[in-house]
Amino acid sequence: MGWFGSSTPEPTAVSREGRKHCWDGRDAYFKCLDNVGVLKPGDEGKACSSEKVAYEKSCVKSWIDYFNKRRVLAEQQKGVLEQMKNQSNSS
Amino acid sequence: MQAVILRGLRHAYRSSTRSERTLTNVRVDSRSAVRHTRCSRAYSSVPSSGDRDRTAVGVFSPTAAAIFIATGAGLFYYFKSEKESLKKKKEEELASKAYGRPQIGGPFSLLTHDNKPFTEKDVLGKWTLIYFGFTNCPDICPEELDKMGGAVNALEKRYGTAIQPVFISVDPPRDTPARIASYLSEFHPRLVGLTGSYQDTKAVCKAYRVYFSTPPTAKADDDYLVDHSIFFYFMDPDGQFVDAFGKDTSMEAVVARVEKEIGEWEKDGRWKM
Repeated sequence: MGWFGSSTPEPTAVSREGRKHCWDGRDAYFKCLDNVGVLKPGDEGKACSSEKVAYEKSCVKSWIDYFNKRRVLAEQQKGVLEQMKNQSNSS
Repeated sequence: MQAVILRGLRHAYRSSTRSERTLTNVRVDSRSAVRHTRCSRAYSSVPSSGDRDRTAVGVFSPTAAAIFIATGAGLFYYFKSEKESLKKKKEEELASKAYGRPQIGGPFSLLTHDNKPFTEKDVLGKWTLIYFGFTNCPDICPEELDKMGGAVNALEKRYGTAIQPVFISVDPPRDTPARIASYLSEFHPRLVGLTGSYQDTKAVCKAYRVYFSTPPTAKADDDYLVDHSIFFYFMDPDGQFVDAFGKDTSMEAVVARVEKEIGEWEKDGRWKM
């Protein structure tokens, strides 16, 4: 059994330790994406492969999908907010 | 040297006040005289020749003006403060009134994390914090549950076990009592975890106005996330809704809100520790 037990017959929830492990892996991978200037996970080519492998090993797939989607959404939201701010400043 | 000056000053002051005193006496005397003469004339506007100087401005003497202004200012502040206290009282009444409160809560029948039946009657007489979530929640549920656990820890010092934290799963296909038990033990030792059939979950979510997206056909080993409402509820010992806390409410704010409500109940005798 790894950090999460989704493969065992009676699945157990991710523990606090397992969550932290997953979040740390995610943060390291996203930081690497930031460094190479990539927003959407998967668009980085071979750049962050070691971080990506560690990340995907420490989180369940549903969490990875969620975090990846949220990263893009959060960035778009930030852009919209900035645009609104610029508009209100210029008007 | 200084002492001499001081003595001189004191003397000057004394004599000045004395002369003032005599002056006032004089003024009062002349005034009563004026009043006296006026009484018989029923406030005629034509002053007698001897009072011409004093009554040149009619009743508007400096003293009268001062009294007028002081009374005006006094009344102004009196009404202002009265108005404010009335407004505050009204606000307080509104805050504690039951009307306008959302109809949240109601009967439910679920299983605890140690397989015991649990209904809404089991939390009557306690202040409850209820969070709806699921154990496969990536980040928001654990953060909210940590906040709730922290708030319960802070409140326990004063209210002990009168504060009851409750977790209700919105993911019945995966959240078995055993799974919830191991999950919740990391948040608070007294957290009661509840789960049930899909229908029971749907019913409790409807009663508490909670949205959740778990598909009825989901299986225990599926890997999916549940989209759900992420606030937790604060209910009173009668099982009535008091408040809801969202992601932006800090732990301190939750503690303060609970303390405020219990304080109000203590004040009017509805609650005793």
